[in-house]
Amino acid sequence: MNTRRSPLIRFASSLGFAIILLSLIAGYIVIGTLLIQHAADAVYLERYPTIGPLILALGLNKAYSSPLFLFLMVLFSINLTLCTITSLKGQLIQLKQDYYPSFTQQAYTIDGIDEAAFVAFAKRRGYRLEEAGDNKRAAKYRFGVLGAAITHLGIIILCLGGAIGNMSASEEMVNLLPGGQSRFEEEGFTITLDDFYLSFDDNGAIKQYISEVVITDDGSEPTAHALWVNKPLRHKGVGFYQANWGWVNNLVIIDTESGEKRVEGMIRSGKSYFDQQSHLTVYLYGYYPEMGVGHNQEPVKKSERQIDPYYAVILYKYGQNIGSYIISPGEHIHHENLAITFTHSVAYTGLLVRRDHSYPIVLTAFIIMLIGLVVSFYAYPRFLSYADGVVTTKSRRNGWIFHQSIKSAFARKR
Amino acid sequence: MYQVIENTTFTIAFICYAVSALLYFVHIAKLSRQVERIAVGATALGLVLHTIAMGARTIGAGRLPFSNQYEFALSFAWGIVLSFLVLYLLYRYGAIGAFVMPLAILVMGYASLQNKSVRPLMPALQSMWLTFHVGTAILSYGSFALACAISVIYLIDLKRSDERKILHDSETSDMLSYRVVVFGFLMLSVVIISGAIWAQKAWSRYWAWDPKETWSLITWIIYAIYLHLRLRRNWRGKSAAWFSIIGFVSVIFTFVGVNILLPSIHSYAT
Repeated sequence: MNTRRSPLIRFASSLGFAIILLSLIAGYIVIGTLLIQHAADAVYLERYPTIGPLILALGLNKAYSSPLFLFLMVLFSINLTLCTITSLKGQLIQLKQDYYPSFTQQAYTIDGIDEAAFVAFAKRRGYRLEEAGDNKRAAKYRFGVLGAAITHLGIIILCLGGAIGNMSASEEMVNLLPGGQSRFEEEGFTITLDDFYLSFDDNGAIKQYISEVVITDDGSEPTAHALWVNKPLRHKGVGFYQANWGWVNNLVIIDTESGEKRVEGMIRSGKSYFDQQSHLTVYLYGYYPEMGVGHNQEPVKKSERQIDPYYAVILYKYGQNIGSYIISPGEHIHHENLAITFTHSVAYTGLLVRRDHSYPIVLTAFIIMLIGLVVSFYAYPRFLSYADGVVTTKSRRNGWIFHQSIKSAFARKR
Repeated sequence: MYQVIENTTFTIAFICYAVSALLYFVHIAKLSRQVERIAVGATALGLVLHTIAMGARTIGAGRLPFSNQYEFALSFAWGIVLSFLVLYLLYRYGAIGAFVMPLAILVMGYASLQNKSVRPLMPALQSMWLTFHVGTAILSYGSFALACAISVIYLIDLKRSDERKILHDSETSDMLSYRVVVFGFLMLSVVIISGAIWAQKAWSRYWAWDPKETWSLITWIIYAIYLHLRLRRNWRGKSAAWFSIIGFVSVIFTFVGVNILLPSIHSYAT
């Protein structure tokens, strides 16, 4: 059968080639875990002056999306596909009821078995029994020969699903404050954040991040949903995942002379507001929902529970630090004719939005793979023959184990 | 109270395992069935106490002990001993205990060095997949440890005369090791697949090339090569035994090395 195939096909479908590819893939992904990924080119050139250029040339800085890795994966998929197809003919022959392997090689024997006992045993265990001249033979789980092909098929579909996912999936982050909306024009719906809140354990650790949203399809009634980590929301092929969150803080600056509100707006920790008129920069160093004091008298966040909130604020004028303050919500910092305060803080949610049509393919691949492995390892073909008081057991996959199980079964009967 | 029960039963289980390991060595030296039976009894008693320790932890924490290095090591050692006892019940090769129990003791020793405090589950871990994913990992890793121990026996037996072999014959240890690797491999496949499905629910992607999942894949590839060489090339004996040992080294690196050396989204498991 093999002689009719070209040497190239023979090599491309061979186990040897598969082992080489698997070893190369394993070696390559080890490198990916040891090298930092997706850093700037300069990082590699600075950290590894000798091999830095080679790392960049081989794409090891983006190991899992580099052309070299993709090439290896394509070769592996080809190898697996060819191997599965070329092995299939032989496997289909083994499925036929009249197929029996040779009982003379790599077979085990059990002596002193009565023919009636053999027949009764084979029937009880679900073997298909038949006469072979003066002897008897029996077979079970012939379909098990397809286990490897089924597993391979699962892996091929998995590679296909992965490729489709990589090529077609899109991802974006949407940050929303309560009342905020995001529109999905293509799919024809709007998502509105109704509420976002945290739940806490007794010790103050965050237990869960919960976003309550309302989805409004064009021309339909709005529907309410809740999502949290491990409970994504899917709507019209768009997946929403609870991926991020943070505080935004309401800054108010009042002109004390006129009594007018000069500015009001939300800023995040680590960000600053520059007042052009007074050349004053208000830098929000941090928001502490439950503040504690660290070893070096620095403010520390004891938890995210809004029990005893404080703001750490630094003021700069013409680039010079003119004072650091810890203030509670509504408390003012007075500077010249300005009163600066943070009135309150609101948590925003960060939803990861992903469109990926490869999910059903990948899930199908997983199921096929597992079925293939179970069939391959636990429903492997088993063959028995009986002649002159001797039972011969044969199984290509699991000869010794199969023999042990048959031997102990007959021993129990005795 | 649960912590006291956990600590006490953990310590006594550890002692039982240590005693049983010694007895298995005596059994190998003297080929005494009586000693073997006592050793198996000590192992079984240790496993019962070990199970009680895990049960106390479960009740105390309000969840299964699967979420950090201490808890996983505790469960991993349990998986090793359970795998051994199941194998013993099937094939009655007690001598394997002399090589398996030291592994269980080492893992328990590692557990005792970890932070034992009960911490609440972080949001990403609050999923029914945790039990399935880590539960199958325990069975998988336990099986690979057992296969490694049997492979070591195989290599030792190669240098011994027939009457001094630890197991009846080399084929027995070779085949047993293969049998156990098969189960471990199937479980590891379930671990990787369940982890991927869970990751998709939690983080939107099946696969993120996180060091832990990447090293699990490397371990899977090593054992896949082992199985293919064995089935298709009839690759047995010494080479297969060494491959099984290398596979277990990869398991240990995935369990301990990755947590210590490589930053990972699995870092909560420390």
